[in-house]
Amino acid sequence: MLRVRELSLRYPNGKLALSNFNLDIAAGEFVVVLGGNGSGKTTLLRSITRTVMPSTGEIWLGDTNLCALEGEKLRRARLALAMIWQHASLVRRRSVLANVATGTLGRHYTLRTVFGGLPASELEATLGHLAEVGLAHLAGQRAGTLSGGQAQRVAIARALAQRPRVLLADEPVASLDPEAAEEIMRLLQRLARSENIAVICVLHQVELAYAYADRVVGIRDGQIVFDLPRDQVPRDAVHRLYLPEAA
Amino acid sequence: MSLDIARSRSGHGFGSAGWRRALGSAMHFSLALLGLAVVIQAFIVVQARPQDLVTGVHGMADLIRRAMPPNFSALPSTFWPTLQTIDIALFGTLTGVIIALPLALLAASNMTPSRFAYYGARGIIGFTRAVPDLVWALLFVTAVGLGPFPGALALGVHSVGMLGRLFPETIEQMDMAPIHALELTGARRIQVFSHGIIPSILPSLLGICLYRLDENIRSSLVLGFVGAGGIGFQILTAMNLFQYQDVSLLLIIIFVIVLSAERVSAALRERLA
Repeated sequence: MLRVRELSLRYPNGKLALSNFNLDIAAGEFVVVLGGNGSGKTTLLRSITRTVMPSTGEIWLGDTNLCALEGEKLRRARLALAMIWQHASLVRRRSVLANVATGTLGRHYTLRTVFGGLPASELEATLGHLAEVGLAHLAGQRAGTLSGGQAQRVAIARALAQRPRVLLADEPVASLDPEAAEEIMRLLQRLARSENIAVICVLHQVELAYAYADRVVGIRDGQIVFDLPRDQVPRDAVHRLYLPEAA
Repeated sequence: MSLDIARSRSGHGFGSAGWRRALGSAMHFSLALLGLAVVIQAFIVVQARPQDLVTGVHGMADLIRRAMPPNFSALPSTFWPTLQTIDIALFGTLTGVIIALPLALLAASNMTPSRFAYYGARGIIGFTRAVPDLVWALLFVTAVGLGPFPGALALGVHSVGMLGRLFPETIEQMDMAPIHALELTGARRIQVFSHGIIPSILPSLLGICLYRLDENIRSSLVLGFVGAGGIGFQILTAMNLFQYQDVSLLLIIIFVIVLSAERVSAALRERLA
């Protein structure tokens, strides 16, 4: 499904954020990426969404090399890549339903959607996505009134509305309480399987990785340290990811 | 160890801390003197004569006596100029919004497509704001003649400057995270604009527009004095004809209009918040 090949990225300030990075993720697989601050986790996700342009290497989504795309082709390719962040990034003044429906906009280019209307043909499916994350009863509520956990679930529903093949999650539970965090992780795991979506989830919570990931990838200094099924990941290897440089 | 430091540390003599204190006091004294000089020159330049307020009381009392009671029989004839005053403000505000909105998008650092557009838009906004609405009105009266139209044009152009300063600030303060999120869903630029940017800033922009309308209603009253129609023009005419009872009626109408506009604007802005 998603193949990252020899990916390197050097920022304009000279910092090498990713170095010869290789990763394969199959449909329906739930991969958690662990690593300290500045290890390259977020840069990996930003490279996949092409928010940043890798210096060298390739990212293949099916038979499309994302690194070779620009403009309209890149926009179309992004339809298959959904992203969620630490904060839900919802339009606070719009309803929950409207926020979820924006996930479908890329597929529609009608006069109605250009002037702020929602794609009518998708509204029923959108309600279905909200039901999938357990929030159908809040469809008419303003997004700004939701709790952190609810907002994150709405962000996931918006991602589902995109009908993505890959779901990228950048520390999606970092600002949530433990109970809400577990709920989001369960949801992501379930969606990976039921919707056959490849999920890459960047986390700092090691225990959540052990509990929910199919595979755990450890990154340090932009390079893969380990890439193993969760039950084979040694605790000390994870611990070493977070040690200071000198150690 | 130098002698100064030794003196300072031993608590004797006039060390560097003492010099700093003395310098600070001298600076404060100089600033106070400068402030006083500025106030005194203002009194001299405006030829302030407080005693005239006392001697002028009789003249003021006479004016008030002649203005009372207000000439309410002229009320029906004030309807049209009142409507003109409100419509000048309405037209001016709408014109200002229509021109200021695209300029604001170019003048907002997080939206502008290029530095050239940014500085160009900022230049236009700055110029329209720098020239007072009264001067714009004089220019438009010269260009298109007397009446409400030059007043409306003047308010429109000046509103571009005022709205063009506040709109970009609102756009720049917008939370960009939902906008980036929308971009990554594969939505087109125009869809990101209509579904992300507009809903995020619309309430703030509407609040600014209402505030501007409120301000423009006050301004449209004054613009009448330079021939731009409305109640201001009626007051000027009545004053020139010594019809002070008409003037007092018009002042009551102005009070009602301004107060109503302020209350309605405040109530609507509160609902939008």
